[in-house]
Amino acid sequence: MSNTRPNNSIPNWRLPEAAYIHIPFCAQHCGYCDFAIATGKDAVRDNYLDALEKEISKLGKPHPVQSWFLGGGTPTELTATQLERLCLILKQWLPLTGEAEFSIEANPDSTTEDKLAILAYHGLSRLSLGVQSFQEPVLQLLDRKHKNPQVERVIADARKLKISSISIDLIFGSAGQSLESWKYDLSRGLALQPDHFSTYGLTYEKGTPLWKRMNRGEIIPLEDTEELAHYEAAIDTLEAHGMEHYEISSFARKGRRCWHNQVYWENSAYYGFGMGAARYVAGKREVNTRDLDSYIQKALSGQETIFQSEQLEPREEAVETLGLNLRRMQGANRERFFMRTGFHLDEITGPNKDHLVQQGLLKDDGESLSLTRRGRHLADWVVTRLF
Amino acid sequence: MTDASKIRNFSIVAHIDHGKSTLADQFLLKTGAITQRDFRNQVLDDMDLERERGITIQMHPVTLYYKLDGETYELNLIDTPGHVDFTYEVSRSLAACEGAILLVDAFQGVQAQTVANAYLAIDNNLTIVPVLNKIDMPIARPDDVIAEMESVLGIQPEEVLRVSAKTGLGMDDVMRAIIDRIPPPSGKPDAPLKALIYNSHFDSYKGVVIYIRVVEGTLRKGQRIKFMRGNTDHEVAEMGQFRPNPTPCNVLGPGQVGFFMAQVRKLDDVHIGDTVTEANRPTAAALPGYKEPQPMVFSGLYPTNNDDFEELREALMKLRLNDASFTYLPEVSEGLGFGFRCGFLGMLHREIIQQRLERESQLDVVQTAPNVTYEILNRNGEVIVIDNPQKVPVDGQIEEFREPFVKISFLVPAKNIGDLMQMCAERRGIYQRTEYLSTSRAILVYEMPLAEVIYDLYDKLKSVTHGYGTMDYEFLAYRAADLVRLDVLVHHNRVDALSTIVHRSSADKRGRKLLKKLREEIDRHMFEVVLQAAVGSRIIARESIAALKKDVTAKCYGGDITRKRKLWAKQAEGKKRMKQVGQVELPQEAFLAVLESDD
Ligand SMILES: Nc1nc2c(ncn2[C@@H]2O[C@H](COP(=O)(O)OP(=O)(O)O)[C@@H](O)[C@H]2O)c(=O)[nH]1
Ligand code: SF4
Ligand SMILES: [Mg+2]
Repeated sequence: MSNTRPNNSIPNWRLPEAAYIHIPFCAQHCGYCDFAIATGKDAVRDNYLDALEKEISKLGKPHPVQSWFLGGGTPTELTATQLERLCLILKQWLPLTGEAEFSIEANPDSTTEDKLAILAYHGLSRLSLGVQSFQEPVLQLLDRKHKNPQVERVIADARKLKISSISIDLIFGSAGQSLESWKYDLSRGLALQPDHFSTYGLTYEKGTPLWKRMNRGEIIPLEDTEELAHYEAAIDTLEAHGMEHYEISSFARKGRRCWHNQVYWENSAYYGFGMGAARYVAGKREVNTRDLDSYIQKALSGQETIFQSEQLEPREEAVETLGLNLRRMQGANRERFFMRTGFHLDEITGPNKDHLVQQGLLKDDGESLSLTRRGRHLADWVVTRLF
Repeated sequence: MTDASKIRNFSIVAHIDHGKSTLADQFLLKTGAITQRDFRNQVLDDMDLERERGITIQMHPVTLYYKLDGETYELNLIDTPGHVDFTYEVSRSLAACEGAILLVDAFQGVQAQTVANAYLAIDNNLTIVPVLNKIDMPIARPDDVIAEMESVLGIQPEEVLRVSAKTGLGMDDVMRAIIDRIPPPSGKPDAPLKALIYNSHFDSYKGVVIYIRVVEGTLRKGQRIKFMRGNTDHEVAEMGQFRPNPTPCNVLGPGQVGFFMAQVRKLDDVHIGDTVTEANRPTAAALPGYKEPQPMVFSGLYPTNNDDFEELREALMKLRLNDASFTYLPEVSEGLGFGFRCGFLGMLHREIIQQRLERESQLDVVQTAPNVTYEILNRNGEVIVIDNPQKVPVDGQIEEFREPFVKISFLVPAKNIGDLMQMCAERRGIYQRTEYLSTSRAILVYEMPLAEVIYDLYDKLKSVTHGYGTMDYEFLAYRAADLVRLDVLVHHNRVDALSTIVHRSSADKRGRKLLKKLREEIDRHMFEVVLQAAVGSRIIARESIAALKKDVTAKCYGGDITRKRKLWAKQAEGKKRMKQVGQVELPQEAFLAVLESDD
């Protein structure tokens, strides 16, 4: 098994060629996080793998795929033995074929060399490291416990193990963060020479501890204009260093885009397994229960783990496809859009499209529709006005 | 045909939530009109909206049979609405009765509409059967409340019956009191027919269903009848009683209550309050009938999509078929295009019509802030009626600007009197008098501009009295006042639908408040949006909404997609309720901002 998949292959729309596996465990609950996670549940981790195995085995027979994405939570919270077991389960039911991609989300403090070695042995091709910042005050605000040397060590280990693509996650726009401070994080990140960056503006998700602190006035979020300046700086700096800005939050060296994530933005099918995992198979979106105990109990007893399920109408699917496509810098290609959805792109967009083009938010070259640089800052606004 | 001596016609009057509908349910159970098995709460509230909101909007007649001491009696009960907006409906019901049960909550005691409705019943010469409800509640204070009834309404304490409409406790006494105390109707069965039309509704299959109470003579199936007002002849095609389901019958004699259909296709051909008589043998004098209610509150209704104008007209027409107390006339707004100016009895009525419209028509409409009707005396001696701020002529032409005043009664805990008086003073209220129900509760009477009443008075009253205060008002007269039109400019364009009429002394304050509120309601645009408030050419306040710079969610992976699409759908839905005014999109909330106070 080798390297990353070529960027240009089109994933299947209805039958999944990508599999997402959710590992909900985390060492602690970070203040800004609203993912489906569980802390301090060491005792049930093996049960969780049992449940996962049971859920996946419902496939009935092996379904070859082209990507595995272990996300979380913190997949690297599992022990080396547990990771080994997980890979074996996946190999049995979801064997990787062709030029496959195998990604994992990793935290610098829990990603030990032995874990990496096992993953590398099973074909890990992409390590996505949750660095977020290189500065203590920012890390503290985000509740991140790792130290910079751990980041450097994990990257060195990964290189040694020939893991071909290394990505780092950075968060900008933290409360009180200056533009200078953000540029410092970017330069520290670049110094590590990763193949890929994911940069996110800090969001205050409803109900999270960080959101509550904001509501109590303990934290004052950055002004839009300041956050925007951070985002601009990320684009300028990373592009100047040979990174291609290929999706709103994603930058990659040539040939190193994340194939798995592109499945989402293409609005193609994917499997999802584990607590809170989402899947999109044959036009149906499903989400598993976000409750750990009930996930385990239901999966083990062979019951349905699904918590929400929705079959999209063709038009809804087309609207969704366009919205997702527009997250990519390449935008939505008319011909491909028609093949994918059965609708002409211009039937889906409303009369407002031309106005958005005139306002300099959208670009339309006749073949494809995409966001301009200014439009990227307003992606959500543009999309809701487009239909 | 039941002999008149065995008939009792009565209504239940009460303050809202004191238990009218529950008591009506007990009557149905008690008389076997429904069985325990079919029993669902508030059987008579059959409009969806009524059940959902727990209020009675339109009156519901029902005919019941009850056996007492070996005799069977026919009881006609007419449930009535309890909200101040529907006083007119209450008086309509009362005119068809000889008696009324005055129902009072044993915990809440006498409230504003208890007093108002009791007086309505007394004015109609009805026999009052006072009933204290909810005595099953541990917090009930029956003796205090009976003392209140005595002091405010002059009710003899020993006449008050104590019941629980919920458990049925005391119902036998109520049944006996209805039969013993309420007089039977009078009227001769062989006299020329004289029947009162007290309500009607439109049924898409059967046409207009006419609700009547026979006063003299007899109504028969197949009979040729005449509506005295329109002087039109019809034949009675079908007739019946509500028991509570429509049940056919062939004759209705003096005192009886029921309905008939006579192939009347248009609701406008039937006038509530009109007298029905025989075509061949008309009665000499019609019944006095009712005063038509005048809409007191107006607001504009505009389709969000201008192409829906005709559909909106049709929807309004349908609504009016079942609610003649609401009016609509086409109008044009520079900002909003073509729409309708609608008139309502009051704020609750307005809210209900809007909800019915949304429910029954699926149209997206924008509603402008409500205003009351004004009068302007011109320099050339003409009086013009202003039901829309846009119609206010320029300053120089106005001799006198008049606004409607109401007499308003508050029933409040004595300890809140100070706050209440301050609240009224701030709203240009003119103090009339205070009456104590007991040492702890009092009635305060004011005269006040209706505009101040609809602005935010009800919410304020509730907050000042921690929910214990109630109010009731009635129209007094138009009075001259120093009024001005407050305009709003959005991005330098005057938006006519945002104009309001306010007292000159409060224009600055209202203007500032209004802009603050608009600032919250209007989404950010790609450019800075400037908001201004003006009286004439004088700008009195200014606000601005900063340009939108950033609106993008960072992450969007597998698990986020559904959420994302829902967000798009929600925003797209929200956009449907937006009106484009110049370059600016105004949400429905912006048009109602005028109404809300934020302190
Ligand atoms: N405890 C108790 N609650 C009652 C009684 N009668 C009515 N209620 C409750 O009071 C509320 C208002 O009653 P409803 O009949 O809708 O009042 P209406 O607005 O006058 O028609 C409802 O929640 C009823 O269940 C009663 O005798 N005892
Ligand atoms: S941010 Fe990552 S590590 Fe922190 S709680 Fe969320 S999933 Fe776990
Ligand atoms: Mg009721």
